[in-house]
This record gives sequence, C-alpha cells and structure tokens, in this order.
Amino acid sequence: MGVKKVGAKPQTLVEKIFFLDFIKGLKTTIKHLWKKVITVDFPYEVVVPPPRFRGIHGLRTVDGTEGPEFDGWVKRLKIKPPEPGETRCIACKFCQAACPVPELFDIQSEKLDVPEDHPHYGLKVMTVFNMDLSKCTFCGLCTQACPTDCIIMTDIYDLSAYTRRNWVLDKDMLTQIANDFVARRGKEKFDEKSQWREDQKLWPEYDKTREKLWDFNMPRLGPNYQDQTA
Amino acid sequence: MSWISVEKAKKLEERFGYPKVSESKGVVSVEVPKDKFIEFLKFLKEDKEYDFRMFLDLTIIDHGEKEDPRFQGVVILFSPSYQQRIIVKTWALDETLPTLTGLWKGAKWAEREAWDMFGIKFEGHENLVRMLLWETYPYHPLRKDFPLEGIKDTYLPSLNETLRGDSLEGMFNYDRMHTALPTMEDLEITQKRRMPVKTSQIVLNWGPLHPGTHGTIWFLFDLDGEYVKQCDIIIGQLHRGVEKLGENVNWQQFIPYTDRMDYIAAINENHAYVLAAEKLLGIDIPEKAKWIRTMMAELSRINSHLLWLGTYALDLGALTMFLYTFREREKIMDIIEGITGARFTINYFRIGGVFADLPYGALDAIEHLIKDLPERINDYETLLTRNRIWLSRNKDVCIITEEDVYDYGLTGAVARGSGVPYDVRKIDKYDAYGEVEFDIPVGEKGDSYDRYLVRMEEMRQSIRIVEQCVAKLRKMSKNDPYFFQTPDEKKLKVTIDGRGMKLPAGEVYASSDNPRGELGFYIYNKKDGLKAHRMRIRSGAFYNLQVFTKAIIGRPIADAITLLSTIDPVVGETDR
Repeated sequence: MGVKKVGAKPQTLVEKIFFLDFIKGLKTTIKHLWKKVITVDFPYEVVVPPPRFRGIHGLRTVDGTEGPEFDGWVKRLKIKPPEPGETRCIACKFCQAACPVPELFDIQSEKLDVPEDHPHYGLKVMTVFNMDLSKCTFCGLCTQACPTDCIIMTDIYDLSAYTRRNWVLDKDMLTQIANDFVARRGKEKFDEKSQWREDQKLWPEYDKTREKLWDFNMPRLGPNYQDQTA
Repeated sequence: MSWISVEKAKKLEERFGYPKVSESKGVVSVEVPKDKFIEFLKFLKEDKEYDFRMFLDLTIIDHGEKEDPRFQGVVILFSPSYQQRIIVKTWALDETLPTLTGLWKGAKWAEREAWDMFGIKFEGHENLVRMLLWETYPYHPLRKDFPLEGIKDTYLPSLNETLRGDSLEGMFNYDRMHTALPTMEDLEITQKRRMPVKTSQIVLNWGPLHPGTHGTIWFLFDLDGEYVKQCDIIIGQLHRGVEKLGENVNWQQFIPYTDRMDYIAAINENHAYVLAAEKLLGIDIPEKAKWIRTMMAELSRINSHLLWLGTYALDLGALTMFLYTFREREKIMDIIEGITGARFTINYFRIGGVFADLPYGALDAIEHLIKDLPERINDYETLLTRNRIWLSRNKDVCIITEEDVYDYGLTGAVARGSGVPYDVRKIDKYDAYGEVEFDIPVGEKGDSYDRYLVRMEEMRQSIRIVEQCVAKLRKMSKNDPYFFQTPDEKKLKVTIDGRGMKLPAGEVYASSDNPRGELGFYIYNKKDGLKAHRMRIRSGAFYNLQVFTKAIIGRPIADAITLLSTIDPVVGETDR
C-alpha cells in the first residue's frame, strides 16, 4: 500500500533573513499581472451552454424525426395520430413516474368529442401539460423516461420571475421553447431519430467567449476512443 | 473484502454463545442481546484478535409500528489492523439502549441524532439533547408513523402569494398550514440546553449566519479570556430529511437528492449511493462505466479541494488564492458541465453505470486540464506553503491525535493528516480504484498544517489517477456499454430512468472516499421493493465536525477559523 509521508520542514535561516518566502510568492503574483482578463462580463457576454446542458424543459412537435417506435406508442395509448406540427406528447405520464418530485407535473388527456363514425372516435388527446419549474431539480430523468423523445431539456437557464405563477409553464409555452431550441441548436444535440448524436460535442466550438475562462488556451476537441471518427 | 469473514464471526458465537451471526451480500452482522451489548462491544474493541478500535456509525432501524420489539440499534465498526468492518445489532427494548460514549467518544453525536430522529433514550449519556432539530420539537421524524410531508400544525399564510387581495390556491401555491417552525424562544431553550454548565460569564455565539462558517453552523464558545474552555455546535439549520426522502422515493430517483447533500462534490455523493445500491443488487457494472466513474470522481475531488484551498486561504487572509483556485475550478466545472449537463448538482451516475457516454472531445479537454494543473498547484504552494504568516497560523494549531481518529470515527483528510492511512479507495477497491496506482498522503503530527499538506498532495495523486483513467479509456471502443445490460429483464430490471426498478431484500453498507471523509450508505431492505426500508447516510463531515468541540479546547478563538477550514465540513452533508 503506497503511503506517502508529508510533513512540515522548518524555515531555513536564509529564508527567514532575506524574506525569500515572500519574494517567491510575489513572483507568482507579478507573473499574473500581465495576463489578460479571464472573467466573462455577464450579462453582456455569455458562454454558450454545451449541447447536453440541462436547462428548462420543452415539448417537441412532430417534424419527421421521430423514433421508429413512435407510431407504436401512439397506437398503444389510443392517442389521435398527430399531424406535423402537433405535439409528440402521448400523455403516458412516464416523465411523472420517473420524476423525483412527481407533484411538479400536471398532465391530463381527454377523449375527443367526435361522432361514432369519425376515424378519431374513441381516441384521446393531451390537453393539459403544466410543469411547475420552481419544484424542478433539473436532474433530467424525465427526458430519459420519455418514450417518444417529446420532453427535452434546452439551454435556457434564466428562470427568474416576479411571481411564483410564472414558473409554471403550460403546454403552449413548452412547445414554443422546444421549437425555438430545436431550430437554433437541434442539429448539435439530436440525430435524425431524435436521439442524442453520437458525436455530440463537449461544448460548441464556435463559441469564442469560452476561450476567456480557459485562459485563452483552449483544448482542441478530438475523438475519445480509438475507433471513433471525427 | 473489507468485511470480517463469517468463520471469524462464528468464533465469537462459539466463545460467548449469545451472538447470532448473519451474512447478506458480504456484509456480516452480529446480533447480541441488549444486556450484553456493552460487554460484547468492549471485547471487540480491546481484544487483539479482533481489534475493532474505530467507530464508524451508530443508527437505529424502525421496523414499523406493528412490530414488537420495534427498534433495533445498529453499530458499524472498523478494525484498522485487519482492515475489516463488522455490524453489531441489538434490539432497543423499552425504547432505550445503553450509551456507547464510554467506549467511543464519537458516539455522542450519533446517539443524540438517534434520540432526535427515533426517540431512543441512551442510558448514561452525559447530555442527551436533540442533534438536528430544536429542543421543543414534539416529534421524532424518522419513525415510520411520521408522514413524509410532516405534520402540518402551524398556520402560516404568509408564504402564500396574494394577487389583488386574493390568495391563490392549487398547484401554484403552498398550503396555509405549515409544519412546525422554531420561534426565538425555542432557539433560546435549545442553546441553553446544549451548554448546561457555563464556566464564564459570557458564551460567544459564532454563526449561524457568519461568512466564516461556510454555511449555517452555530458555534457556542465558553471562553476564558481569549481561550476556549468549552465548545458546542448547533447544526441542523439545513436539515432536509434526506434519509426520510430516501425511504420514500424510488432507487434511481434518490440520486438527485444525494447531489444536494455535499453540493461541492456531488459526483462523490452519487458514487457512494450507487455503490451501495449496486452491492444490494449484486451486479457488476461494465468496465467502461467503472473507469468513467473513477475519473469523474477524482475530477470532482480536485474541484472540491480547490474550493477548500481558496476559501481556507481567504479565511486566513490570503485573498488572491481564492481568485487563482477559482480559475482552475471553472475549467473543471466547464468539463463536468459538458459531460453531464450540469455544473453543480450533477446526477450523472446511475445504479448500473452512468447515464450517457462521454461526449466527443471530453478526454482531450481533461488531458489538457491535467497537463496544466500540476504547475498551478506548484504556484499555490509557492504562495502559501513556506510563507511565514501561513506557517505561524497553521503549525501546531489544533492537533488531532491518532487516538481521536479512532474514537471519533474521523475519516478522509482529517484522519490522514493525523497519520492514519485510512482510505476507503484502498480498502474497498471499488470501481477501478483497485487497478490504478496512487499513494495515500499521511501527515506526521496531526496539526492544521499537516491537513493542509495532505490535501495538497491528494490533489496531485488525483491527477495521477485521472491520467491513468484517460489512458485506459483511450484504448476502449465507442461501442462498449456504459450501462448495465441485464441478461433477463423479467428477473432483474435495471433502468436508466428508474421506473419499475426493484432492489432485493437484505442489508448492505458501502462507502466511498469523499473529499470530506467516508460517506457510507447503510441500506436495510426488508423485502424486495421499489423503496428502501431504512436508508442511513453515514456522513463523513458530520463525524469530522464533532472533533472540533475537542480540538478547539485550550486554543485561542482565532484558531476556530483555521480548525474549521482544515476539517472542511459542508453543511449540506452534516445536516442531510
């Protein structure tokens, strides 16, 4: 078992008389005097969050990038087949089941009010989807539970509000957030089947503000494993 | 393995007749009758063949209202000469147990906590007051008949939001009735009971909202001039009932709650919990997940030590240190954010592995960071280590002896600073720690300066471990699994999101070496279930903080800052 002893060594007389300890310390300080500023001037400058960032939630809509099992889930839960542009949510409440704070969700579905000969007779549609983000821990378990890749986490992190009610996002707001996020950064995060991309980057390389906090000495991102390609 | 063998425990059975040995998942526990409890523990402590000198934990299991006897005391001990652990159990008949403070002084706080949470009286305890809650609180919250949401008996409408005179109701607002809250009178009673015998005219209060305490800790100092004669600590201002939550949420869903205990090193908290749960499940996780976990845990350790160094130096008057360490810390946080999606409350580990593979470029960034770090640590050392002000404020300040380490159950850098090479990473060899090379730094004297040097060396050793992990991960394939793949879904279901996951019956204790000491999870599961029956968290910071009350005695009040910084507790973990 490797045990390494560390212990104090007394100051030598030379160190004591000539204040060598202070001079050496000051060298480090003076070295830093000529360096560039590394603090990011928030909110005038912002660092773009990485693709995996767990910000506030969004509900994705049907846009032709659903997973292969999407239609199966829609059929199984007797949901009206969604048109392009409509929400992917099938009101299965898996997100609520996976949530450490389940009471933050309020999900309801309703049967469609159509005559018996209508093709959508007996099918349901999600009507209410409220999330109280003041209770949310941003752990991301809901996104992993979602069978249709509907609920996602975006890169938005400013949640401040004047009243507690503004933390509750409804289904239209969540859909809007997701649409905005997917249009902005969807390609970075998701592949054609709405899964996380295999070559998802550690952080966006186009972001130049990040260089500051890395002391203007950024690492260049390359493949992790020997069989991974750029 | 780091547990006493069943054969060796059976010898105890032969020798005394009354102990009952049982084994579950490699964890050996011995049950003894209550009247022989102290005698048996004394034998275990003093006999050279067993030598269970080190106190790890004491807790209670509540078996439910209908059971009789209902409460069971659990003591976890460690033998430094054989590197083994043992669990000793006894039934708390009539809701009392004999005190262990005669054998281990460290049991003092644990017994107070057991009294606070379960209402078990410890006969012979010098001052059995509540540990985390205030003195006039009427309930014992970890009992099974206490509801999770608490008993709402206080009318408190002021938390509710009003809009144009209307109180809002429903999902967006709180109840008008609230669980009990302490008033100023309650706090005064609490404070007086904590220190019943005062020697001086005045008791100095430090905290609970003092920037030097790094959280909400409330210190009471009984002073003689400038020197401390008596000290006690009131904690619990950040108590959120994590143990109770652990008994009421599903297995994977508990991981976000562990993040919020030691928020400085959230990855290590997750690590200890998933180790315990995996031990209970009896699964072996994929190789790649092991190496990723080890690497992330060490990055988190460096991260935590950098924060410690910065704030420690800041407290002792070296402000620049804080700025330097936060620069490096930012880089580590940036990498962690890229890999896991969060900077602080990370929730990356899962029972069965990790939730996602490393993103493209992660290993490059980590390599870049650790190439740079040793030079930075040297920079910090030139600023501090030989500095005469630093030396005079740290050398020979608040010495913690080897005896104290065993008595109080000290772990982590505090134990190692006192010359005890206690490191769970070496003892248990969990995940990939058995395959990486690193040294345990130990101090000579046990003063604050030694604890400082130990943590500085620990950072260098962590860099060594991360280097080895990166080299190993480079050789792996992108298609290697990062999460446990069950051979038969019907028999054993392990899911990333935790829905429908059941853990078998049994009891386990597993721990990981946190930046703040050994964090152990003792899980007792009566039957296969979605939730734990008893989730005990053995917090390293809690036990380390306890030695503060002893080490500060006879020292001037200014040393309190030094001692608190070198013990380095995080209130989220001490209070849970």
